Parts: sequence; C-alpha cells; structure tokens
Amino acid sequence: MTGRPEPGPGPAPGASEVAVAEPAAPPVTGRRGRVLARTRLDFWLDALLLVAYTLAYSLGFTGIATHEWLGIGLGAVLLIHLTLHWDWVIRTTRKLLRPGGRERFIWLVNLLLLLSMTLCIASGILISEVALPQLGIIPPASSFWRQMHDTTATVTLILVPIHAALRWRWIVGVARRLAVWRPGRSR
Amino acid sequence: MRFLRHLTAVVLTVAVIVGLGMLWAHASGGGGTSIGGGPGPAPSREVLRRLAQINAGAIKVAPAGNGFHLADTRNLIRTCEIEAVLAAVVITVSAVRRRRRRTRRAAANP
Repeated sequence: MTGRPEPGPGPAPGASEVAVAEPAAPPVTGRRGRVLARTRLDFWLDALLLVAYTLAYSLGFTGIATHEWLGIGLGAVLLIHLTLHWDWVIRTTRKLLRPGGRERFIWLVNLLLLLSMTLCIASGILISEVALPQLGIIPPASSFWRQMHDTTATVTLILVPIHAALRWRWIVGVARRLAVWRPGRSR
Repeated sequence: MRFLRHLTAVVLTVAVIVGLGMLWAHASGGGGTSIGGGPGPAPSREVLRRLAQINAGAIKVAPAGNGFHLADTRNLIRTCEIEAVLAAVVITVSAVRRRRRRTRRAAANP
C-alpha cells in the first residue's frame, strides 16, 4: 500500500553498490548482485500479499471459510507492510506540495488503496459467516457492511494491480538480482 | 523501537479509517444489526433471478466448507486476468512516458 524506491539504472561501472535499497537504509558496499535483507523481506512480503489477495478475492475458488481466514491474515500482514513503508508515507506526504506529479499520483493511489482495503477487511470481519462464529463471536449482520464489502472489494481489485505496476521497475530490478543471488553473498 | 512506533502510527491510522466507516454506517442507518433493523430495501429483480437460478441448480455456488475448490479455478483465473490487464496498461503507459521523457531530455542536451 506504499511506495518503494526505484532500483535505478544500476551502479556506475567499477563502483561499489547496492542499487536496490531503501534510501533511508545505511549505505552498503559489496559485490555486484547483492540484495539487502530488507529488500528481500519487502519483495517476498509483497509477493505473499499479492498472492494472498488474489486468492482471497477469488471466493468461488477458496470457499467462504478460506476466504474469511485469508482476509483476516491479509489484514495482519498489511499492517506489517504499511509499518515497513511508514517512512515513505511520511516522506512523500511532506513532499506533496512540491512539484513532480509521479510521486503524488502514487501517493494518491496508495491512500485510496489504504482506505478501500481497510474498509474491505473491516466490513468483511463485520459480515463474517464462518471465521468469527468459529471463535464464538457473532458479528452483527448488516446490509450496509455487505454493500461496503462488495464495493471496496471491487475498488481494491482495480487499485492493487495499479499499485504493484507503478513499481514494476523495482520489482523487475529485485527479481533479476534475486535470480542470481546466493545466500552466502547476502548481508 | 522504531518499528513499534511506526506500527502504533499505522494501527492508529487504520483505527481512524474504521471509525470513520462506523460513523458513516451509523449516519446512513445501516450500521446496526439486521435483527430489528427493519427489512431494508427490497432485493432487485436481478438478485431474485440469480437466487432462483441458484435454487434450480443452474448456477453453482462454492460450498462453505474449508479448503480450496480446485475444480472451480475459473474464478481465480478471472481475478488474475483482471489484475494482469490493469498492470499491463499501467506498465505500458509508464514505459511510454519514460521513453518520451528520455527522448525530450536527449533532444535538450545533445
């Protein structure tokens, strides 16, 4: 639900590097192709979120029980995702008044995604038919929350691929590095 | 410590959004339970038609039980297709704009 730095064109020839890193992270020197532990965490957590979201959205495939438990798990992992990128949220929010459209657009997409995803998961919990009753909690059923869940789910289906695609260069950059990465070379 | 501080900020943000959603529900009179909350609006003709089709067995609904229904992958494929199409559009637009920017920059600094 947040942004991340672009991997950039890569280090200058002969320079020590790691291009795929958070700007706030301390500078790292080392051999070419090294991937920061934090970048690996971001990449795999984001991949997990995308797969979990795709599965959770496909209610016909998962069935209601898996759908609900996946949604609750997704909510917990999303809190971690947002926490890991909170620096970006603060930094970009402060820079909103400066010129430069791209980051502003990403910020807006991320804000809308945060709103819709939060309301989608919250409304999903409030209309839970299996997961919460299994825990002995009977949520108050309401047509408002059911409608809210349907609408926000549709909005998130549009925003999630846009959110991911806006950082496609970062994704491709990290995936390329991970493809050649060996654990012994990591920090 | 920093992580905990950020997590607290995130939880508070999420709580504010959920709180606003609750207020919205309350304001629109739909936040309460359906029991005693009135019958609500009548279902549309389309909903009634789909319900009749489900009852007749014309539309198959996934059972509520646990586990994935591997036989019903159409739903999953459709989700993946929508995501892929939207991502492809964004990537294409982004690549075209990047190329234009580079061309413009190259023309300005020959």
